[in-house]
Amino acid sequence: MLSPERLALPDYEYLAQRHVLTYMEDAVCQLLENKEDISQYGIARFFTEYFNSVCQGTHILFREFSFIQATPHNRASFLRAFWRCFRTVGKNGDLLTMREYHCLLQLLCPDFPLELTQKAARIVLMDDAMDCLMSFSDFLFAFQIQFYYSEFLESVAAIYQDLLSGKNPNTVIVPTSSSGQHRQRPTLGEASMLEGVEASLFYQCLENLCDRHKYSCPPPALVKEVLSNVQRLTFYGFLVALSKHHGINQALGALPDKGDLMHDPALDEELERLLAQIPGLVNSVTAGPEASCLPARTPPRVGSPWRPLHHARKVDAESDGSTEETDESET
Amino acid sequence: MIPGKYRSVSGRAASNVEFKLNKETPSFPGRLLQHDLERNYSSRQGDHINLVSSSMPSFPILQRSSEEKILYSDRLTLERQKLTVCPIIDGEEHLRLLNFQHNFITRIQNISNLQRLIFLDLYDNQIEEISGLSTLRSLRVLLLGKNRIKKISNLENLKSLDVLDLHGNQITKIENVNHLCDLRVLNLARNLLSHVDNLNGLDSLTELNLRHNQITFVRDVDNLPCLQRLFLSFNNISTFESVCCLADSTSLSDITFDGNPIAQESWYKHTILQNMMQLRQLDMKRITEEERRMASVVAKKEEEKKRESHKQSLLKEKKRLIINNVARKWDLQQHRITNIATNQDGKDSDSQDHCQNDGSTISAFPEETGSLDSGLTSALQGLSVTDTHLVEVDGDTLSLYGSGALECLDRNWSVQTAGMVTTVSFTFIEFDEIVQVLPKLKIKFPNSLHLKFKETNLVMLQQFNALAELRRVDQLTVDPQGNPVVNFTLWKYYVLFRLSHFNMQKINGTEVTQNDMIMAERLFGILAHVASSELPQYHLISILGDARKKQFRYLLETKGKKPGIVNEENNDSKRLVGESTNRATLNYTTRDFYNEKLEEIKEKKKFCKMYIEDLVKEATEINMKNEALQKLWPQMFIELVRDAVMEIRNKNSYMKLCLQQITDQK
Repeated sequence: MLSPERLALPDYEYLAQRHVLTYMEDAVCQLLENKEDISQYGIARFFTEYFNSVCQGTHILFREFSFIQATPHNRASFLRAFWRCFRTVGKNGDLLTMREYHCLLQLLCPDFPLELTQKAARIVLMDDAMDCLMSFSDFLFAFQIQFYYSEFLESVAAIYQDLLSGKNPNTVIVPTSSSGQHRQRPTLGEASMLEGVEASLFYQCLENLCDRHKYSCPPPALVKEVLSNVQRLTFYGFLVALSKHHGINQALGALPDKGDLMHDPALDEELERLLAQIPGLVNSVTAGPEASCLPARTPPRVGSPWRPLHHARKVDAESDGSTEETDESET
Repeated sequence: MIPGKYRSVSGRAASNVEFKLNKETPSFPGRLLQHDLERNYSSRQGDHINLVSSSMPSFPILQRSSEEKILYSDRLTLERQKLTVCPIIDGEEHLRLLNFQHNFITRIQNISNLQRLIFLDLYDNQIEEISGLSTLRSLRVLLLGKNRIKKISNLENLKSLDVLDLHGNQITKIENVNHLCDLRVLNLARNLLSHVDNLNGLDSLTELNLRHNQITFVRDVDNLPCLQRLFLSFNNISTFESVCCLADSTSLSDITFDGNPIAQESWYKHTILQNMMQLRQLDMKRITEEERRMASVVAKKEEEKKRESHKQSLLKEKKRLIINNVARKWDLQQHRITNIATNQDGKDSDSQDHCQNDGSTISAFPEETGSLDSGLTSALQGLSVTDTHLVEVDGDTLSLYGSGALECLDRNWSVQTAGMVTTVSFTFIEFDEIVQVLPKLKIKFPNSLHLKFKETNLVMLQQFNALAELRRVDQLTVDPQGNPVVNFTLWKYYVLFRLSHFNMQKINGTEVTQNDMIMAERLFGILAHVASSELPQYHLISILGDARKKQFRYLLETKGKKPGIVNEENNDSKRLVGESTNRATLNYTTRDFYNEKLEEIKEKKKFCKMYIEDLVKEATEINMKNEALQKLWPQMFIELVRDAVMEIRNKNSYMKLCLQQITDQK
């Protein structure tokens, strides 16, 4: 808890690294926006709820894109929320187009930019035939990589282009014969023997990038793993490999493994309950439909009066203990 | 004398057939061939008519006995004499009546000397051409019925003609009669006439018989000042327009149309009666007052109907043009078609830059609306029209074309009209604009159950959330044209899910089945669950907005009550909210509103940032001070202790010091 690194950073930087200020600012902003409503049930309660939801990962629902993108935790929460909400679509086996996935994203975030979805689709489709249908799991994992590491990926793309065109920030200029070969080849995406860049070279550049990058990057060890399997690879090949790598997925912590993607027993139960309530089915029709439906539809969490805080579900891999001020009880 | 039975029925003077001069022999012989004639002439006559070998060897010469001549000096009947040519008639210059009925004469000849002739009857012969009459200037009655005449001609000199009978011939055209200014009766029945004109000049004509022809139209009849009777039975007249000149004829009193197609029409009688007020008889029946009255009533109605339908077709055309115009503007707006440099498009190019065209380039409100509305009948056809948008109410459908049409919802609609509308159709209007007027729609057209969208730019599933605020929707039709959202696999299920409280019956024409509902819930149920239960409450409430807020809170509070107790007053609102609570957070704000909101928030965000920064600064300062204190405290503590110990080292001086301090204080 009282780790030396923590005390080593100057205050402001420490706060910034943990994105505490982002949340504080957002909380105050939300407070200002809804002051009439919130003042009715107490500011302290508001803050409690707010940070609770931050921990649970529900704070990003229906928020604007700039907020969702602001911190890695937000991004991860968003991915998780997307998975939880639309897992059923995937389970149904429907293959959807990029635009339709974008639509689904927009249901949760109204101003989600199309470019991100397009980039994610490009990963899945290997930059080919953008109107193709994609499966839910393919899209989700590709989207995860694209969204969570978007800045990182941009830099990687730049590096890749540099390498392709023969410029290498790290090592000596490659002899003309091979660079000539590179230039002869068309750019990304063609299936040929000497396409892409050399993996080890690529890795060295990436390693440098990870060191100095202030945005989040995949753990370098795992990147090395990805790159060590192949001799050469293209940009999109690299991204696909990233998206399919279990380790990276787990390091991110937002989504379950691919095998478990369709499983979520708690929500499945909930779904069954909802299905049972569809009018016309045998069980539902009673004398007072509304009142009896309510408890099922709105589980206790929302409607109940003030409750003591409960320990948040750990969404983010970084665990931080609670400081004295916020921790009231541990159940 | 001739026995009575041999007199001809028409009353023309029948005289003895004079071929035989012997009076005792029966007057009508059997077969008399030409050479027999000659023999008879030569043999019986008292006067001994010889067969004159004339310059025309084939013509027989006719002579009568002098007694005959004296008795019937002005008439000569040669009926049924099997004549094939006209005989030469000598010495009969006073003849006034000549009867050649029922023969086989092919040419009118050898009568030019009979210049006193008044009555010439050539009925039922084989004459092919009217000729040989040029000297008969006194002729008054010319009967050429049942011949083979193909053309009316050579009547130039017959200026005194009173009756001209050409029925039963092959005449195709009325011509060469214009000089017959004394003609009273003209019979052209059973010919091959296809039309009637060229009648001018017949200033005395009172009766015109045109039965049994192929006449399709009639002209020039109004140029006949005396015409009283016109018989057009069994022709090919089918419209009144083809005989419209009859209306202008003031003299007509008797007309027949039976056997024409026109007589089969439902409007036949009253149209004729209405247009020909001067008529006394129609189709040989007297016209009663009652009939006339009926006719005028019906005619008026027809007139109105015609006017009405004309107006309707005009309106329809106008409507079509406007819709085309709107469509074009829409396409321009959607950047689908390139800009052609015309005046109008010059304005459009400005609006092309920003997608929202509020119709600001359009001029004022439709002034025509008022006059149109008042002019139209109560057939519930309301039409409001300008160049750029169109609003139409057609029974149970309200159709809106173009974004300007949305303004019509501000108008005062009669309760009856508005109540009848069950379908509302939007075309060429941005969906975002429609969303903004949905509350008005709910109020003004409470019975609208079916919504149709075409070319409305529906691109996201989210947009369907906006429809949830309506009271009820039974049917939804989203035309693929101009609505990309229909290309999505899941769109129907999403609609069913989000609008489940409407219990929709049909989407795009197909019935909604139980399975569809289940699938919709299965696909999106969790979304609803997450959206309602996992949102922090403040967020939930702020999304739901004021009205719902109260309902929702009420619900939360009543949640604890026993299920059986339901407050009557709030039943409805509860039911409404209860069914849609968990989806209520799924809203749609149009992009513009959303961006506006975000803009507004920017100020707040800036403030918050500054505020937090200040707090952080304070906190860090305090922290620094804290740390500094932490560092310095041991030293400070030691000093404090040292000072205190040093003070108390000398008990006496310390006591003195304390007392001094106390007195100083006072």
